[in-house]
Amino acid sequence: MASDAAMLRAENVTKAFGGVRAVDDVSLAVREGTIHALIGPNGAGKTTFFNAISGFTLPDRGRVTFRGADLTRAPNWKRIAAGMGRTFQTPSIFPELTVDENVRLGVRAHAKQAFRLRTPGGEAKRAVDARVGELLGFVNLTAQRDRPLAELAHGSQRLCEIAMSLSTDPVLVLLDEPMAGLAEAETERIMTVIRDLRARLGLTVLFVEHNMRVVLNVAEKITVLDRGKLLAEGTPAEISANQAVREAYLGSEVIARV
Amino acid sequence: MHDWASIGPQIFNGLVLGAFYAIVAIGLSLIMNLTGTINMAHGSFMTLAGYLAYTMVLRGTSFWFALIAAPLICVIVGIAVERTLVRPLYKREPFYSLLMTFGLSLMAEEAYRLIWGPNGVPFSPPGALAGATSVGFMTFPAFRIFIAVVLIVAIAALALFLTRTRFGLRLRAAVQDTEMIAALGTNTQVLYAVNFGLGIFLAGIAGVLAAGMLGLAPTSGNALLMPAFVTVIIGGMGSLFGSIVGGLLIGLTISLTTLFVPAASEVSMYVLMAVVLMIRPRGLFGEEGIFG
Amino acid sequence: MSARGELIGAAIVIAVLLFAPFLSPLIHLDVSIVSEVLVMAVAAMSVNLLLGYTGLPAFGNAAYFGLGAYGAALSVKYFQVDFVAAVVIGTLAAFAGALILGPFLLRRRGIYFGLLSIAFGQVFYFIAYRYTDVTGGEDGMNFPRPPVALAHVQVKETAFYYVALAVFVAALIAFRAVVRSPFGRTLVAIRQNEVRVRYLGLNSDRFIFVALLIASAMAGISGALFGLLINFAYPLQLDWHQSGDFVLMMILGGGGTLWGPLLGSFIYVLGKDIVSTITPLWQIFIGGLFVACVLGFPRGILGTIEQRLRRAPGTFTADDVNAAFDPNAPVEVGRGV
Repeated sequence: MASDAAMLRAENVTKAFGGVRAVDDVSLAVREGTIHALIGPNGAGKTTFFNAISGFTLPDRGRVTFRGADLTRAPNWKRIAAGMGRTFQTPSIFPELTVDENVRLGVRAHAKQAFRLRTPGGEAKRAVDARVGELLGFVNLTAQRDRPLAELAHGSQRLCEIAMSLSTDPVLVLLDEPMAGLAEAETERIMTVIRDLRARLGLTVLFVEHNMRVVLNVAEKITVLDRGKLLAEGTPAEISANQAVREAYLGSEVIARV
Repeated sequence: MHDWASIGPQIFNGLVLGAFYAIVAIGLSLIMNLTGTINMAHGSFMTLAGYLAYTMVLRGTSFWFALIAAPLICVIVGIAVERTLVRPLYKREPFYSLLMTFGLSLMAEEAYRLIWGPNGVPFSPPGALAGATSVGFMTFPAFRIFIAVVLIVAIAALALFLTRTRFGLRLRAAVQDTEMIAALGTNTQVLYAVNFGLGIFLAGIAGVLAAGMLGLAPTSGNALLMPAFVTVIIGGMGSLFGSIVGGLLIGLTISLTTLFVPAASEVSMYVLMAVVLMIRPRGLFGEEGIFG
Repeated sequence: MSARGELIGAAIVIAVLLFAPFLSPLIHLDVSIVSEVLVMAVAAMSVNLLLGYTGLPAFGNAAYFGLGAYGAALSVKYFQVDFVAAVVIGTLAAFAGALILGPFLLRRRGIYFGLLSIAFGQVFYFIAYRYTDVTGGEDGMNFPRPPVALAHVQVKETAFYYVALAVFVAALIAFRAVVRSPFGRTLVAIRQNEVRVRYLGLNSDRFIFVALLIASAMAGISGALFGLLINFAYPLQLDWHQSGDFVLMMILGGGGTLWGPLLGSFIYVLGKDIVSTITPLWQIFIGGLFVACVLGFPRGILGTIEQRLRRAPGTFTADDVNAAFDPNAPVEVGRGV
């Protein structure tokens, strides 16, 4: 089967809230080393699906397998430890801490230095410092590292959050609407970062996005959800030609214009 | 073994007690549901109503007049408090209102001590309501029957207000979606004030009745506050019906454990609450999402 | 504040405290009251750890305080243990309480955590209230202050004061070490965003549980010492109003600061024991101060001072953060991107 190299496999995932099926029997496989997009009109269940994969909520039915291990009922922190990283629609950060501290906590956590009474010195500290510097450099926030994150612009906060999601050395990065609320220049910035995640860091990326221009330019594989159900799956070319997808989004102008 | 003549009245007492918890819980819920305000001073308003009624009766008014007037005065005080102290905290987390109203309750308790003395004051129901009626081999105090009637009428009136009047509908809609209601032109500031006042009015009625039944001292209201919170938890945050069911449940639990296992009577309700919080934190009839 | 400034400030405070038994009679202050300030400060510190640093609504610390007091009282009255043993047993009783209750408390957050904390405290309260044969019930239990066995000395008021001071300083040093450690930094992160802490691969429950254990030990030793101070253990020490008093001390002095609990305890205890004999308006005053604090100075006295000192143009406060999260806010191009 072609999905041998599936790093993440979701099978028949279903999640309902008070009688409404936000996600209905959705199956999806993310191949290692790909940039995979998850799209769909509002209310399609994309974030709920993300939540089920990353452990923010537990699915009512279905299975989530990551690198061969069944993580369906695993708590979220265990999934991160297993190699996932995630960002949120509204950046989930530590606003009162500096940019450096925001990234440092994850690096420390990964180095098993968080649950400690003493900050290790010497070699261990140097390794953490180096890694933090690396991550800040990757998202180009080195100059702002000592400023409280709340002071920075929205786009910078998102970049910092991406750095945070990388701080635990994941192999799969889940980005939930990374472009939401950004101006044009910042969108370009994030697009480059997403491409770099794969090109420079060799990571696998699954991201949710509404901005179709971005999706069609960045993604290699696209899965479309509509009202909780899987609608279509394929390459950007296949998806933009897909009539059902066009109809799901109100009017085909959205796709035609791109 | 206990004689069966005492179980009947004990169940009745439990239901009356439960009705008290229910009405205090409903008042708390009303305030909590709309703005997320946790009113630790709710008991203080109850005590205030009791003391005001006591003072009025002492000055010669009738009990019936005091029963309505005292809660109304409390409403005025309550709205003043809402506008000055509670409103600034709407944007903040519920914990702030909890702390602020806790401080308020400390001030109120001391004020009552200064004005009316540290010991309790006697507040007995009017002669017309004294005495008891007998049903078969069981006797029921008349005042408690009266309390039960008043509480049932109050709750029924509230239910009608919320479902049949335009303002009541607006209130319920605002609990669902305050922004929408504001966008449709309703003055939310007035809504918040009236809602708070409504909760205080219920507390006031409960306070006057409780003063007659349980006695009146600076800390009277606080004794009913914790059970009311437990009622809200068990019945479910966001559900007024749940408050009624929860209150009656707790009232019965307490009165029956008092009869059979007296040592456990106060603890029973906390054990019940802990169990509910562990298994179903939203309560019996609560909606998912309020406070998580 | 620089490290040097901090050290000097601390030295001054400790110096004043060292000479308190000699200074206090000059202002007609009984040394036992200053002991009470120090003992309560440790309890306020326990609330500070859970509420000020970790952000949990800790309204149930009286349970551990009371367990400490009753642990000491019961062990002295029925087993005639010495002073040190009484303190240790009280602390262990509180610690055991947290070990048992912790797993239950961990399952919930927010206001449910707060209410569960209160509920557990009330259960202990009513047990102490009802178990009259053993605990003396509503009237509480008087018990003598035992001597220190090894040294064969009675612990008179002045000696007790230095014991309390030693415990306070030890607790303060431990507290400082904890909050400045990676563990403590994680607690602060949990306060700001527990979800993100978990999405960095950390099991926040573990951190919170340990914080709870530390807090219970602090509240427990405070309770044991308080019981030994007044030779009395009574149910209200377990009641949620007692918890509320600790929260009040923390908030007044400043949650999230090192010395806030001491300042808050100072204001509260001195006010309660001294001012209340002069004017009955004491509780109104402290209640009013509390209300004013919550409305205007939620960071308390020291917290507000710290904030003002740190304030430079462009520095955000916690409330301004909400603006930063508004997705509809205009994005400033060229600033930080």
